[in-house]
Amino acid sequence: MIRAGRLALLLSGLLLAAGAGAARDAKGSAEAQVALGRRLFHDGDLSINGTLSCATCHDPRHSFADGVRAHPGAHGEAGLRNVPSLVNVGSLSPLTWGNAGLTTLELQAMVPITGEDPVEMGMKGQEAELARRLSANHCYRKLFRASFPATRGRIDFASVAAALAAFQRTIVSHDTAWDRAAAGGPPLAGAAARGEALFRGKAGCAGCHAGREFTDLAFHRLPGEPETPENGDFGLARVTGRSEDRGRFRTPSLRNVALTAPYLHDGSADTIAAVLARHGAALSPAEAGDIEAFLGDLNDTQVTHNAAYARPGRSCEVS
Amino acid sequence: MGPNPAACTTPSAIPTDLAGWSAAHRAIKAAAKSSAVGKALLVQGVAADVALVPTPKVAYVAEPGKPGGSVSYGGLLAFDVAEAGRYRVAQSGRSWVDVIVDGKPSPSVAHGHGPDCSGIAKMVDYDLPAGRHLLQVAANGEAALTVMVSAVR
Repeated sequence: MIRAGRLALLLSGLLLAAGAGAARDAKGSAEAQVALGRRLFHDGDLSINGTLSCATCHDPRHSFADGVRAHPGAHGEAGLRNVPSLVNVGSLSPLTWGNAGLTTLELQAMVPITGEDPVEMGMKGQEAELARRLSANHCYRKLFRASFPATRGRIDFASVAAALAAFQRTIVSHDTAWDRAAAGGPPLAGAAARGEALFRGKAGCAGCHAGREFTDLAFHRLPGEPETPENGDFGLARVTGRSEDRGRFRTPSLRNVALTAPYLHDGSADTIAAVLARHGAALSPAEAGDIEAFLGDLNDTQVTHNAAYARPGRSCEVS
Repeated sequence: MGPNPAACTTPSAIPTDLAGWSAAHRAIKAAAKSSAVGKALLVQGVAADVALVPTPKVAYVAEPGKPGGSVSYGGLLAFDVAEAGRYRVAQSGRSWVDVIVDGKPSPSVAHGHGPDCSGIAKMVDYDLPAGRHLLQVAANGEAALTVMVSAVR
């Protein structure tokens, strides 16, 4: 498993180099890239049997998560990790739960599309097939040409990943009760205010869930993390091979956390109360409730209803 | 998810509500358009081995929540409900299903997996009025899918 992770990291690096041409196509229309990325994001043709799109797991209506512990792959392969939300994902690096090398959205896109550990969309070795499927659609042909004129709209993994990244960088949410309070608006009150004080004080949450995105982007091991996890996921050690990295996972952002249950890297905590217990914080039920109220003030339901993120209609964005 | 089907050495006991799953199946071709769905009629409590249609050929009445890519399969089926109540759509795959009532997808009221090793991968429940209803199947990975509609008791 760990060896496979190293190979995945190497492969990711090679793909980054290959994709740089598409990603740096300065003459391409940024607007077209976003429109293309949105269309691709919702397209089941990015999976081997047409059953999974990016949005199957990163459903905008669920704050770009999916509400299950670990989503199975295109052929029903067992999932390994809980789907993280994509809210403000353009501000985060590294990405995902357990790979410090996945520093860009372009790199990360290939993990679900072609990855084998586990298989998600099952498209390893299917670059020509993906190009065949997409080029059969006149709207895609136009959008790829408008997005990547330097390669005359070449359809390949690199251009697909670049467009997906462009779209994902538009998934931005900084309009919560907490953001408004931080900007000088009405302060948090009651349980939420008490919860923030606990979050930043006694409970020690802010040590890792730091900054505007509530993550330090570092890899940590929770006190209750088992030595031998039931699902065989050793976290960062899958990639580094270092025993000291066993059980270490990247701190997730807490934006819209109340909308993205279940929690933790394996989706094993159904509620925020269960998550707090797994962190080993000595909190009374009332204190845990206050922290949960504070986390509720990190919700932005506008992002879940924003038409700009929904599946596009049949009408093509470019003429 | 249940256990890997390959790990299932003996069939699982099927609850009485789903007994038809273990009995003889009917073979049905899904319709590609709603006007042809009369020939794709499911019988309640009887499992049907459905031959689906390539997704690009299917004219859905309402756009499925997950429509599937061009290489996936889908189709339209119908079933009759004599008495209003809760009904379950069980299937061997993980396709997206909608029951269309008055031209709109009826909201589902429960989701679940079938019993381990039963061959039922997914079940979705709906509260339905009496009448003939359209069942939309979308985003299936294969052309073959076993489907059964039964009353929830």
